[in-house]
Amino acid sequence: MLTFVARRLLVGVVVLFVAASAAFCFFASQYLPLRETPLLSAYWHWVQGLPTGRSLSHGVLYGRLLPAVIPALEHTLALLGMTLVLVVVLSVGIACVAAASRGSVLDFLLRAASYAAWAMPAFLVALVLQQLVGKVAGGPGLGWFPVAGWAGQCPGGLGIDLHTFKCPPAGSGFAYVGNAAYHLTLPAFALAAGFVGLHSRYLRSSLLDALDSPYVTVARGKGLPEHTVVLRHALRNSLASFTSALFSDFGAIFGASLAVDWVFQLRGLGWLFVALLNLNSTVPVIDAYALELLLLLGGACVLVASLLGDLVVGLLDPRVGFR
Amino acid sequence: MSGADASAALPEAPLARRRGASLQALRRLSRQPVTIAAAAVLAVVFGFGAFVPELAPQGWNSIDLSPRWQNHAPMLSGWHLFGTDNIGRDVLVRTLYALHTSEQSALLAALVATLLGVAVGAVAGYRGGWPDALIMRIVDLFGVFPALMLLLVAYVFLEPVTTLKATLALALYLWIPVARVVRADFAVLREVEFVQAAQALGASGRRIVLRHLLPNASGTIIVAATSLLGQVIMLEATVEFFGLGVSSQIQPTLGNLIGDVTQGGVGPYSPLGLGWWTWAGPAALLVTVLVCANLVGDGIATALRPAGRR
Repeated sequence: MLTFVARRLLVGVVVLFVAASAAFCFFASQYLPLRETPLLSAYWHWVQGLPTGRSLSHGVLYGRLLPAVIPALEHTLALLGMTLVLVVVLSVGIACVAAASRGSVLDFLLRAASYAAWAMPAFLVALVLQQLVGKVAGGPGLGWFPVAGWAGQCPGGLGIDLHTFKCPPAGSGFAYVGNAAYHLTLPAFALAAGFVGLHSRYLRSSLLDALDSPYVTVARGKGLPEHTVVLRHALRNSLASFTSALFSDFGAIFGASLAVDWVFQLRGLGWLFVALLNLNSTVPVIDAYALELLLLLGGACVLVASLLGDLVVGLLDPRVGFR
Repeated sequence: MSGADASAALPEAPLARRRGASLQALRRLSRQPVTIAAAAVLAVVFGFGAFVPELAPQGWNSIDLSPRWQNHAPMLSGWHLFGTDNIGRDVLVRTLYALHTSEQSALLAALVATLLGVAVGAVAGYRGGWPDALIMRIVDLFGVFPALMLLLVAYVFLEPVTTLKATLALALYLWIPVARVVRADFAVLREVEFVQAAQALGASGRRIVLRHLLPNASGTIIVAATSLLGQVIMLEATVEFFGLGVSSQIQPTLGNLIGDVTQGGVGPYSPLGLGWWTWAGPAALLVTVLVCANLVGDGIATALRPAGRR
């Protein structure tokens, strides 16, 4: 297993390095501060600075890049983690209910809902949830959750305390975690909805395959209760393919998280990326080093997720193993 | 079925079998009422979208100057059925033009991506060896970064973005999944007996690819192309939503009409004073098209590969 991880990591880092090099050469030829320097020397300088980490913080935003990126990465990872938990819990629940009541009205309704959820782009779900479940000033919302911003941040004065005119503090320790989760609830649901739609359908159909197989008939013949048959026998066999599909979708989840992050102003990687690219925003130039760093982080997230996916599948399904 | 010369040269049996397979697929398709309904809705929406310039000849930028019609909510009587935006442009007309543009670019992008993917995948799968290795490594490189990040960078690079440029950028990204499945299919088909027979008869590589492999891979290609349509619409709308693509002032698309509500302000606060009706219509249209495109894609996949999902 260790050799498996080492080999996968090595191959992944090489591929990531080649892709990042291509991206860097593109950025260096287009954007400040490298547009004027010859490409080869800029690239060589970048490669030399990689082991020391100098290449990751260099550029127009020198000294301000890492302090901006690290909290953004934390916010994005928190959003992704909460989304993954939601996707797994909801997909498994919905798929089990739908597969156990195959052909019923409930099954049909669940399937229709999951089709609709998958077809809704994440940014649209985010907008709708923000307007209806959060409370937009003058809007029809329920006001259950904050409309925008990370815990302790009130972008543009959203969520400000109207008595003190200060942003409610983020708290510390467990209070901070709870506050962050409270601020992440709507974004995580918005991000999860589409992927729950997709994966609950996949899992349902693989559960149906499993429920038709001989070992399930044997389990039923032994007189096991139906929930044990579904959860212990059928689900266990479908989990491996579900996990591998989920993790191979991670790039799409990450991409959609950029849009959700933008809508909810979470100050994560998505917000930062668009702010860096958008000339109308507070950052006046497009910085080659900053774009490169964010792309690298995105690529690294996808790489780690695919490795994790293979590990989990290998653990869940001994037939796959670590190859 | 093409060509009388082919049917004269070939014995009767294989031809009949081939027609049988596609007929069977059609029959399976006709037994899926949901797919048929979705295809019908999609055809109606796209057909309607194609004729928007004839239906609304005033164009998407005509402004009603009366102050009463600035930012007006939808009303059932009167001129502007779906309301107006902040400077008095009709929301319905703008939405329809957005449909027209989005549909055009989605169809074009899917077509270009499919053609490119089939060509590249065919070469890689049939040739094998170093062209295959090279192409697959390039494909791997594209897969390293999240799609949305690459597309956002591409959109900024293409500034000022036009619909055509954006469409081609999307097509240049989305050929990859097509190339993957076509390559996999061709690599398997290459080893099958009838290809060896054709090679033994002295058929050229081009003839084998075009006349023997391509028809046999057509199911895979159709499935890949139809599933591409939904992806194109979704990705394009998402990129436009960030406000980095074509501006809705220049050319409304479904994505940038929805994105306008977040522009220039924080989250839901719209400094432009845009009401919910300016993006509810485009959003509903977008979801309808996406649901139908996905349903049709899945239906065709089940019809062509009966062993697949249910």
